[in-house]
This record gives sequence, C-alpha cells and structure tokens, in this order.
Amino acid sequence: HYPIGLLFDLHASNTALPWSITVHFKNFPEKDLLHCHSKDVIEAHFMACIKEADALKHKSQVINEMQKKDHKQLWMGLQNDKFEQFWAINRKLMEYPPEDNGFRYIPFRIYQATTERPFIQKLFRPIASGGQLHTLGDLLKDVCPSAITPEDGEQKTQVMIHGIEPMLETPIQWLSEHMSYPDNFLHIGIIPRPTD
Amino acid sequence: QEPSDDSGATGVGSTEEVVRYEYHVLFSSSYQVPVLYFRACFLDGRPLTLDEIWGSVHASYQARLQEGPWDTITQQEHPILGQPFFVLHPCRTNEFMSAVLHGSQEHHRHTNYIVLWLSTVGPVVGLNLPLSYAKLAPEQSTDADLS
Repeated sequence: HYPIGLLFDLHASNTALPWSITVHFKNFPEKDLLHCHSKDVIEAHFMACIKEADALKHKSQVINEMQKKDHKQLWMGLQNDKFEQFWAINRKLMEYPPEDNGFRYIPFRIYQATTERPFIQKLFRPIASGGQLHTLGDLLKDVCPSAITPEDGEQKTQVMIHGIEPMLETPIQWLSEHMSYPDNFLHIGIIPRPTD
Repeated sequence: QEPSDDSGATGVGSTEEVVRYEYHVLFSSSYQVPVLYFRACFLDGRPLTLDEIWGSVHASYQARLQEGPWDTITQQEHPILGQPFFVLHPCRTNEFMSAVLHGSQEHHRHTNYIVLWLSTVGPVVGLNLPLSYAKLAPEQSTDADLS
C-alpha cells in the first residue's frame, strides 16, 4: 500500500528495467496489506495523509479552511491526472505565512527495506532557532544517523527520493515544497549502495 | 439461559459470533494526541471488514458515522507493527478533550487524561472502561497537561 515509485526505489532501483512484477488475484493478505475495495477507500487514505501533512505543516489551519469541494478537487485532479486542477488546491498547502520562513514541521517518512520497523516518522522543524534552513543531511542526522554515517569512510547507503539522490545540503523546506508526493509527504528511501 | 431470539440480534450476521478485539493506544506526534488503533477477528481468524466494523459501531454513534464515515474510522498501517489496523481518527480529539478538561480544571478536579480520553472514544468501538478507572485516587492520577 505504498506509492509505487517508493516501492520501486526500495526494491528495484538498481536493477535492470523493465521492472518485473507478479500480480495476484486471489488470497489477498488481509493481515498485512490495506485492502482498498473501491476508489472511495483510496480517496479516504489519500485525504487522511493530506490532513496529517497539514496538521504538521500548518496545525491543520489550511486544510480546515478549505471547503469539501476543494478536497474533492484535489482528489479528482490526482485521480484524473489533471495537473492544473490538482495544483490549484495543492499550492495553498505549500504556502506559509510571510513572517515564517517555512512550515511548522515537515511531513516525511523514511523507509529502509532492511529494518523491522515499517518507517520512521518524527517531528522535525525546517528552520533552526537561529533562522537557518535545516538540510536533508540535518534531518537524517537527527532521525536516522546510521543512514549517513560512513563506516570506514565509505558511504554504504543511498538516500533516494523519486528515484534520485538529492544533495544532502538541500534545504528540507525546499524538498517538502517541491518533491513531496501528491499526499504531501516526502517518502524517503534508504537503500544499500550498489557495489560495482 | 434461554436461547436468544434472532429477530432481536444486532451486529454481524444472524448467528451469534464471537469477535475478538485487540486495542492499542498510540501517541500521534503529528496530532499530539493519543489515538486508538484496533483490529477484530472472528474466532476462526477471519478479520472483520471495514463494513462489518462500521456495522458494529454503537447505535448512539451511527448517525455521526453515516455523516462522515471516512472521517471517523479508517484503516491504516500500524506505525510499529506495520499491519493494517482500524483507527479512530484523531483530528477531533483536541476539540472534545479541551471542553472536558476545561470543566475539570474549573472545578479543581484531578484528571487523568488517558482515562478521560479512553472512556470517551472507547465505547464507540466496543471498549467500555470499567468505572473503577475513574475512581483512581488523586495521588494515583496526574493532573492533566493542557499544552
């Protein structure tokens, strides 16, 4: 039940294309996966993520000020692949008051295929108390230091968002505004670096 | 005991079936409130579907549920176990908790946030807290922290 791009990053990013997958039509693993019986269920999941992201970014103020029809437009834009329709609403979720330099907290989840835990999600501020912009490196150092601490001076892992490795110096505020998934979360994959 | 009359039976199916509920209380860092996660299966291990869960919600809450089912109970991944659980949506928790806590504070009553919260949300999904929880002596409960 994760975004397909994230699944690719976690499980197949360093393999040859095309990505071979096996589709099952029977014996849905109800105990392990969220079963989406209809588009309505997917819409509910999507909206729950949007709401949680806004709770982090704006204390839910922006999402609560919107009308039901705006929520519907966000979903329909995504469902029907209508960029303008989606972003007409989503841009409001990416704004912040002029007196602030960014969101309150950044919505993110860090996934590592090698760990027990499904994901890491913690409170993290994009702006330091002194006003400096926190970077992707700062985030990782804070919530997942093993991802970037080199052992023997060699970087054993790759930090991946949408299939690319952003520079660790990138401000996390910028990443949140420009590289979040449609659900407004940054889904970050930590994968073993290929040795070749 | 007399066998029960099927015409009066409510809940899942017309035969009485035992449902096993498992409840977890987690703290949501995003919403800064506790959240009730739960799952339910029949004794043969078959999990209840979202529809069956909605059907089992206490009669008093059915109206609210019909109004916005997706806002009330949804299925989500347990953040630690990674398995699907039903979740009572936390976005309104602050709203109703502040109202109750405000009243308690005005009357200088000791309050245990978790007992207050769980006794409010639990019954919606079949978790009824015995009154003994509310009778905790002041030394044993902590003052509510309205932050």
